[in-house]
This record gives sequence, structure tokens and C-alpha cells, in this order.
Amino acid sequence: MNVFSRGIRNAFRNQVRTIAVVGILSLSIGLSLAMLVAHKAVDQKINSVKASAGNTITISPAGFSNFSQVNNALTTTLLSKVSGLSHVTSLTETLTDRLKTIGSASASSFGASSTSSNQTSLTSPVTINANSKRGLRAFTFGGLSGIPSNFSPPITITGTNNPYSLNSNNLSLSSGNFINGNLDNNQALVSTSMASKNNLKVGSTFTAYSATLTVAGIFSNNGNQSLGNNVIVSLPTEQSLSGQSGAVTSALATVDSEDNLASVTAAVKNVLGSSADVESAQDIANQTIQPLDSVSSVSMYSLIGAVVAGAVIILMIMIMITRERRREIGVLKAIGASNLKVVTQFVSEAVTFAVMAAVVGIIIGVAAASPITNTLVKNSSTSSTSTNFNGGFRTNARFGAANGPTLLSGGRGLGKVRNEISNVKAEVGWSIIGYGFGAAIIIAVAGSSIAAWFIAKVRPAEVMRME
Amino acid sequence: MLEVNKISKTFKGGDGGSFNAVDNVSFKVNQGVFASIVGPSGSGKTTLLSLLGALDRPSSGSITVDGQDISKFNDRELVNYRARNVGLIFQAYNLIPNLTALENVMLPMEFAGLSKLEREQRAKELLDQVGLSGDKQQRKPGKLSGGEQQRVAIARALSNKPKIILADEPTGNLDSVNGQNIFNLLHELSKSQKTTVIVITHDISLAGKTDRRFSLRDGKLQKDRKQGQTAR
Repeated sequence: MNVFSRGIRNAFRNQVRTIAVVGILSLSIGLSLAMLVAHKAVDQKINSVKASAGNTITISPAGFSNFSQVNNALTTTLLSKVSGLSHVTSLTETLTDRLKTIGSASASSFGASSTSSNQTSLTSPVTINANSKRGLRAFTFGGLSGIPSNFSPPITITGTNNPYSLNSNNLSLSSGNFINGNLDNNQALVSTSMASKNNLKVGSTFTAYSATLTVAGIFSNNGNQSLGNNVIVSLPTEQSLSGQSGAVTSALATVDSEDNLASVTAAVKNVLGSSADVESAQDIANQTIQPLDSVSSVSMYSLIGAVVAGAVIILMIMIMITRERRREIGVLKAIGASNLKVVTQFVSEAVTFAVMAAVVGIIIGVAAASPITNTLVKNSSTSSTSTNFNGGFRTNARFGAANGPTLLSGGRGLGKVRNEISNVKAEVGWSIIGYGFGAAIIIAVAGSSIAAWFIAKVRPAEVMRME
Repeated sequence: MLEVNKISKTFKGGDGGSFNAVDNVSFKVNQGVFASIVGPSGSGKTTLLSLLGALDRPSSGSITVDGQDISKFNDRELVNYRARNVGLIFQAYNLIPNLTALENVMLPMEFAGLSKLEREQRAKELLDQVGLSGDKQQRKPGKLSGGEQQRVAIARALSNKPKIILADEPTGNLDSVNGQNIFNLLHELSKSQKTTVIVITHDISLAGKTDRRFSLRDGKLQKDRKQGQTAR
């Protein structure tokens, strides 16, 4: 038997106390581990969201909302200052409008610039279940109180100088060719769903704004209804057809490096002044993950608190034990034990308590990690959702018909990001178990520190006076 | 040889003053001598024993054991000295309650660095020697009588073959028969092991059977009765 085995054996000298200590300590360690898992999961998600935020800057007219009139649109002239900035590698400019379908003729409230001429011959491929609450809710804002029997949702028409991507989706053509985004030639790209619904092929024509447009290419929307409800034309074509010469409803600047994103964002704000709302993808991601930051902080503080609580528990127990065994300490020293050996024996006892608690605590932690993480993230997501709805235009991308600034924001709308941040997985790996035992050792050693000091202070001569 | 030269131990009193628990004590004891210290309560017997056992340092003076002045040892040297040269026996036995008799005897040998095999073998021999054999060696102190516990304590004190065994009223908690037996055992060991044994006792009749008897009063050494002269 040596100091370690004596320490281990001493941990079982008082079984009732051992059970009590292990019980309390295991709760502390279990909570620590659950918080550590939550913290790691949330941090991982934060980093993943930040990493995927991209290096783009979203520019939209000041105060613009998806369904409002574009009275204060940006202009290509104004935006040319942005494309001239250093580190800006490309600038995608977009003018978006709603086309009234035949079925939606009476639904005058739809469409961002609802003029009498924005009628189209197309029928939307989007089907709405008029009996579903969701369908009704989606189309009863803006004063519309009923759905006509021949109702067809409005179609989004997007004029862009970059027809290779839409709403962050890189487009691939199933037939035909891409249009030139800078030519006013009344050529259009339609989705496979739109083409199918309206029997369109490359070379087919349809009308919009009382003009005839030719299908130059058909892009795959792969069942994505939101994407499928789009018609893409060049920016000059849309500006011309909608009578909004030079107008732009949103722009997306791409910066050469994420390192330059902040400085270029500041430069864009400086150039555009109060005429535009400017946000970098990183800003948007940061706003979105703000609730997760809170979860991360809460879990970290809870983790520290639980570890400190564990250390304090061991500390108090070890002080109590050393006071109880003061005579024994004196005897050990009197018969030749060094301070180090006696302290080691008592630390071994504390480590035994902590390791037993760690085993139970790891089980508790593993069981509690996922529910705790989900609860924390769920609460934060709820808070985030309500905040963003209050904030206005960024969140209304459910139907995806209006290509507001959000849909161009660095490749992901906030709704999508929000869904992503609420999908935090608590993973318990071997490292967590390792941390559990590591924490137990730290708790035991830290908790034994004052006891060790107390042991060192016991003079062997005292044992002679305790008779 | 144990040589004590003008040692004093001063403690601070409750009134802010100080007092000498041991006051300018000097004596010499040869190896293998069985000696006793007698004196009334508060006379400084236990303090003197603590100083002889290197459990405490004297405020002044020197204690020399085989030419080594232990009063000048640092803490580490004191620990080593206690582990290898001193055996202690207490009135209340002071065995470790959750260790068996055998493990209690093995304990000082562990601190002295002996291997487990050596420790176990020697501990069994010592327990046999003090009359504790068989399954009693595997019993914890709570399952042994007072006399048996004191025998374990004596075996523990002998475990590292110390030069000096210091016993603080080893018969104080025992009945007269057991007390006499323990006293005889210590006497025999001092002869057979050539170990210096110094015993504190209130029992004058037992003290009278020792080779030398020192008498303390108010921290001062009065007489060495065997030699019939006042100690220097």
C-alpha cells in the first residue's frame, strides 16, 4: 500500500459522506459537461455561419421594402462609384418587379411597382392551396381578402447584369443560352417549371409590360418553387420595360477578400451616403448569430460556475476531512512522512471523489447535453425571430417572390441562416469525456489546495499534545 | 549515543510573555539504555520528548545523536531523521484506524523507502515478536484490545530499526497487568535490539526499573536517580 492506494481507500472511510460528495459533485461535473457541449456546438455553428457568410456587400435603397414602390431606387450612375472602389471585384445590379398574371389581375396590391402595364401572358408555376391556412395567410396581406378561382400568383421578373445567378443560386441551363446582362434585347431566361407550365421552349415568346419577350434559355430550378417563379431579363431590358430608366432596387458587391470586407463596406457607405442601406455579409451573419453569441456566453459562464462550484465543494469537504484527521496527519508526520507524502495522500482521496463523480457526471452530462443545448438555442432562436420580424424587410423571404436585398445578401437570406443556426447539434465525443476527467482532476487538485496548506501547517509535535 | 546539551524550548504565553517548557536541560544516554522521565504534569516531559524525537526544534542548545546535531537539521533532514532513527509510541496508540495492524507496522518502512516485500516480511516478524500473530495481524485497530494496539504501536516504532524509541506514557491507557507486560517488552527490546528507549511515565515503580531515571520539574532536570547525582 502506498500513498495513492491509502488515499483511494480513505475516500471510502465514511460511505454516507462519500455518496453525498459524489452525488453533489457529479451534478456539478455533469452540468459543466453539458454546458461545455452546448458551448462547443454553438461556437462551431457560429464559426460555420461566419465562414459561410461570404465576402459580399448588400446595397439597397434606403428604407426600401420588398412590396413598396421604388420611389427612391438606386441608380446605375450612383452605383458606378461602388464598382470603381478598390478591392471590389464585381457588382451585380438588380431591378426587380412583379408581373401580374391573368389570374391575379384583380389582385392589384401584389407587385412592387404595380402599374397598369405590368401584365404578363405567363401563368405562375406556383400552386397555392387556397384551403390551407398557410396559403391563405401568404396571400391575405396588403388588403386582399379573398382568392379568385382562377388565381395565379404574380411572377417575379428580375433584371440583372449578372444572369448567371439568382438569389444566390448559380443557374444552370437545361437548354438555350444565357442572355447578355448588359444588352436591352428583350431576351429572357425562364425556369423549367415556368417553361413547363406555359409550354415554352427556347425561341418561344411571351408578353410582359405589353412587350414581347423571347425565351433565350431555360434554367433548372430543381423543384424550387421560389426559384421557379422567376423570369430573368437583362438589367437594361427591365429598366426599359418597366419605365424605370437607370433604376436599381438592389446591388451586390463582391470584395476580393474577407480581410477587406470591413474597409470596403465603410467605403461603400461613404460613397453612397444616406441614399442606401449597406450591409456586409459578415454584418448580417453577425446580427443573425447574435443570439447564439449569448448562448455561447451563457454556457461558458455556466461552465465556469459549475467547475468553480465543484472545486468549492471539494475544498470544503477536504478542509472538513483534514480538520477531522489532524491527529492522524500529525502521526504520519511523526513517524516519518513528509508534507508532500501526506498532501499526496489527501489529494489522492480528493481525486478519487472527483473521478467517481466524473463517471456519474459524464453520464449526466451526456444525457443532459442535447436537451440543454436545444433549449438554449430554441429560446435564443425564438428571440431572434421576433427581433428580425420587428426589424422589417429581411425576414419576409418565405415565398421568395420578391427579390429584395435579403435574397442577394451574400448568398443566403436570413431566414435560411436562422434555420441553420437553430439547427445546432450537441455532439458528445471522446474529447468531452476526456474534458470531464480533466475537469475532475482540476477540481480535485484546486479543491485540495487549502487542505494541503492546512496539512503543511500541522506540526508533528502536536500529536504529542493530543493525547 | 544521545547527548543533550543545554537545550531550552520557549513558548509564548497567553499574556504576551514567554515561558520555558524545557529549561537548560543537559544529559547523556548511551546506546541500548532503557531510561525513564518522570515529573508532574506541566513539567516539560512531553516537550522534551518532542525535542528528542525531532518533532520540534529547541529554542537553544543542541541534541547530538551519534555525532549529528539534529537541532541544526532542516525540515527535509528532520523528516529523514524521524523516518530512520526514531520510533514513537503514544499513550493513545495513534494507529491509523482504517489500516490493518500489519499495514500500520508497514507504514514507517514505506516512508523510509523499503520495498513492499521487505515491509511486509519485517512487519510480520515484528508483530510476531511483540506477540501479535495470526489473523490479528489483519485486524484493524478497532478490533484489537488496548494492549494489542499498544503492541502494534511498539512494532511500528521498531519497524525501521531506530536508534531511539520514545514512548509517551505507553502504559497510561492499560491495566496494570498489560502495562507491566508492555513495560517488560520495551525493556527486553532495548536489550535485544540495542535500542535506546526513553519512556515518560507517572508510574514511579515502573520508572524505578529503568536503567536511568530523569526527573523534571518546571522544565528543569532535577536528578538522575540511578546515578544518585544531579544531572549536569
